[in-house]
Amino acid sequence: MIKSSRFFFRSMVLFVMAVILLGSVPPVIAGQGGADFLSDEFYTDQPGSVETADPLESLNRVVFTFNDRMYTWVLEPVARGYSHVLPSDIRSCFSTFFRNLLEPVRFINTLLQGRFADSRTVLVRFLINSTCGIYGFADVAAREFNFPPVEATLGQTLATWGVGDGCYLVVPLYGSSTLRDFVGVVGDGFGMTPYYYPWTRDFGVMAGVYLGKETNRLSLHLGDYEELKKLSFDPYVALRDAYFQYRRKQRQHSTSPETLWESGRSDLSKP
Amino acid sequence: MYLTRFMAVIFLSLLYLGLSSAGVAGAATHTRPDPMEQLRPFVNEIVGILTNKNLAGKANCRKRRQRVMVAAHERFDFNEMSKRVLGREWRKLSPKQKKHFVTLFTKLLEHAYLGKIEDYSKQTVEFKRQRIRGNRAEVQTILKEKNVVIPVSYIMILENGNQWMVYDIIVEGVSLVRNYMEQFREIVRQGGYSELIKLLENKIDTLEHDLSKTCPIDLPPKEVP
Repeated sequence: MIKSSRFFFRSMVLFVMAVILLGSVPPVIAGQGGADFLSDEFYTDQPGSVETADPLESLNRVVFTFNDRMYTWVLEPVARGYSHVLPSDIRSCFSTFFRNLLEPVRFINTLLQGRFADSRTVLVRFLINSTCGIYGFADVAAREFNFPPVEATLGQTLATWGVGDGCYLVVPLYGSSTLRDFVGVVGDGFGMTPYYYPWTRDFGVMAGVYLGKETNRLSLHLGDYEELKKLSFDPYVALRDAYFQYRRKQRQHSTSPETLWESGRSDLSKP
Repeated sequence: MYLTRFMAVIFLSLLYLGLSSAGVAGAATHTRPDPMEQLRPFVNEIVGILTNKNLAGKANCRKRRQRVMVAAHERFDFNEMSKRVLGREWRKLSPKQKKHFVTLFTKLLEHAYLGKIEDYSKQTVEFKRQRIRGNRAEVQTILKEKNVVIPVSYIMILENGNQWMVYDIIVEGVSLVRNYMEQFREIVRQGGYSELIKLLENKIDTLEHDLSKTCPIDLPPKEVP
């Protein structure tokens, strides 16, 4: 018991140090401008722009190949077998359950980012789904009460505080990330430990739960990676670009002014 | 005297020009169509083809795909897509090269787009919202099937003042054109344009080959008595 709490303490220290270290890295991102689909700049970003800066490319490509083999030989067959055992309804319930567990972590992140309207949404979602959604197995909040899921990670929080991306990073068994965002992922992971503490402090069990969660997630996205590989000319570049685009969109969503959008018929007489 | 008449002519012609251009602009904004309303029948047509019972099954696979592509040409501007995906390289090409590239890229997109939508035979498409800026528009839709919800955005450009044409598709926040652009740029940088064409041709061959296993070309058409 003492051993594991020491492990926890050490990990926290490591994490804090990583944050401080990253903080001293000058922010690479100067601004998020020109990221709009409707502007031509979106298609004319020149090489060397932030999102393609990849100084660790040769190392990343090695890890990418490793991940690719692991996926094809181990992860995919396991997830496929698992998907045959359980119907997709139940698997998506599990996925909603795991997502709900992370809501308190998201709540703290929205507070740290100053997104207070989102904090309220996350809190309400957590309360509704944990009760009416039967421990979070169903997303009643989105379906019945119109509270759509909100994304908020420690990576975003660090970005809000001015911590730069560092560089693009392919993490073994995890995939695309950046130095900053992966620190965020680890930090968010530690935010989950209070759940395990009441019944286990065994690192192996936690890892097992994590693997189960990831297998379940993968089982709902079977074939996506193969499709991407089949249609791309350089899967490494394709995935890197997809990662940055997806992330950018996620962050824009949470801050984009709703007034830009019109639903249904539009009033075209306005300029 | 001469000067005043000259001034009068200039003034009048300017006035006339101003009036007519204002009139044209006014008419354009009044008759400018709604992007979502133009996209809706197109998407419905595609869904209709994919769910048509007469076109279902393996034997009709090619026919189905061909129908979808004919429909796609009405609302997709493959020329505009090719222009964007190549970026600077596009301007260096001769008209013949451009045409060749458009043909190849269209073929690639056919595989990419049809592969994505063919799996979803029982899908429903929901039109969410749109925004317009100048002659560009984004229409957000949601593809739904049972537990799967995929946000798909269509990026459109107003052509000839009356047709909104799609030049990019954003699936879950990832732009198809931009994703290929990044890959093509690397290839052109390293091996030149000819290398890109070679790779494109090889890729299409592979995709065709894979497709012919599940979607045979030479299947005799089933006669309906």
